[in-house]
Amino acid sequence: MLAGVAIFCSSCDSLILYNPNEVIFDKDERNLNAKNIERIQQIPITDTLQFILMGDTQRWYDESADFVKSANNQKDVAFVIHAGDISDFGIGQELKWVNDIMKKLKYPYVTVIGNHDIVANGPANYRKMYGPMNYSFEYGNNKFVFINTNSREYAFDGSVPDIAWLKSQLADNPSNKNIIVIGHVPPYDGDFDKNLEKDFADLLGSNPNVNMSLYGHKHSFNDGEFYNDGVHYFVTTNVGARGYMMVKVWKGGYKVDRIEF
Amino acid sequence: MAHRFLLIIALGISLNAFGQREEVFQKSKKWYLPDHMKLQFAGGVGFLSGGPGYSSRNKTLETDILFGFLPQKFGGDALVTITGKTTYSPWRIPVRNEHYIVPASIGFYLSYTFGPQFDSKWPSYYPKGYYWWATSFRPGAYIGGKVGKNFIYKERKRGIEAYYELGTYDLLLVSYAQNRGYLHLRDIVNLAIGIKYGF
Repeated sequence: MLAGVAIFCSSCDSLILYNPNEVIFDKDERNLNAKNIERIQQIPITDTLQFILMGDTQRWYDESADFVKSANNQKDVAFVIHAGDISDFGIGQELKWVNDIMKKLKYPYVTVIGNHDIVANGPANYRKMYGPMNYSFEYGNNKFVFINTNSREYAFDGSVPDIAWLKSQLADNPSNKNIIVIGHVPPYDGDFDKNLEKDFADLLGSNPNVNMSLYGHKHSFNDGEFYNDGVHYFVTTNVGARGYMMVKVWKGGYKVDRIEF
Repeated sequence: MAHRFLLIIALGISLNAFGQREEVFQKSKKWYLPDHMKLQFAGGVGFLSGGPGYSSRNKTLETDILFGFLPQKFGGDALVTITGKTTYSPWRIPVRNEHYIVPASIGFYLSYTFGPQFDSKWPSYYPKGYYWWATSFRPGAYIGGKVGKNFIYKERKRGIEAYYELGTYDLLLVSYAQNRGYLHLRDIVNLAIGIKYGF
């Protein structure tokens, strides 16, 4: 029997589960945002940057695999942004499944944390697999700022989104790069802290380098200049609805197309 | 780590090749005292878990309470779990020298993991039904089997068994049901192994 179990167990790793909430990741499943940013920054810079905005893969693995096929058939894509709700239950296994699918993309992908990724041990899983919840990077003439906007998960205690951090990120832009702020919950949604909505929108609206801001969460396409301040908000649909957004950015302009697959 | 644990179980079984005496009168014990103890490795309820249990008179039904612990070193987070489980094993095939095989078991469990990050009832700042599952309670089910041996020790008929269980839990089962293309059964199944000592 022992030999039987030993043979059966030759690929024991995935067979052994100590607790659904365990926070265990292989070396190649850690700190993925930083690793993928490194890959992005090695891509030659062109006049027009094209990237994909998709999100809410939560419990839609079949559709996520189809998304990868569709994305890989697109031309001139630099990278993919996952707008959050990577997992449904905040369980590490879900993040691993999604990463296994997203690894098949021809492009690097980066993520922003969604409300479902904050459930249970979700924050610990996210930090281990992807890194800090608030982060930014620059590529070409653009600065991408990723921020946790899932206020409801923190009982609307005023800490999320971190307005002070966002302010410092927007201020730290000596060469006046085009700034794109990415979150999961858009500021005009009920899951965003009402007490921080104005501060958040004003920060974006008053900054001449911010023209667009990208989100997920709503499970349908949605966009508009909701605060009449020159900032256009774009929300991608969920992968379950078989859609994503193709974003083109160039100096002085941008174009966003809705894609269905 | 897993292999070392298997070795311990194997040693435990072979060490129990004593007490080969004629059956003696089985002293009746107090009804509330447990019939057996189990010690389990993995299975989603701790790195190690163990605790008392009761068996039905015909030994086909066992009910256990397992106290599980996952050290931070192995789990990335230190987690304490209490589990109630019931296992039904309809057949028992005698081999030789009081050894027997239980080819099939089926069972289910409900575990509770402690921690401020886990909720049984979602806080009031969520609209009703915002999330439909509790994060502290985890129901699961499994199939398995075991091998065992009866022996007499200190004038009492006792037994030791080694078991395995292949199981999954609600959240993975829901994920599997909705993603039959990408997910396979092997993706959601995990293995538990353990020993049972019957007093």
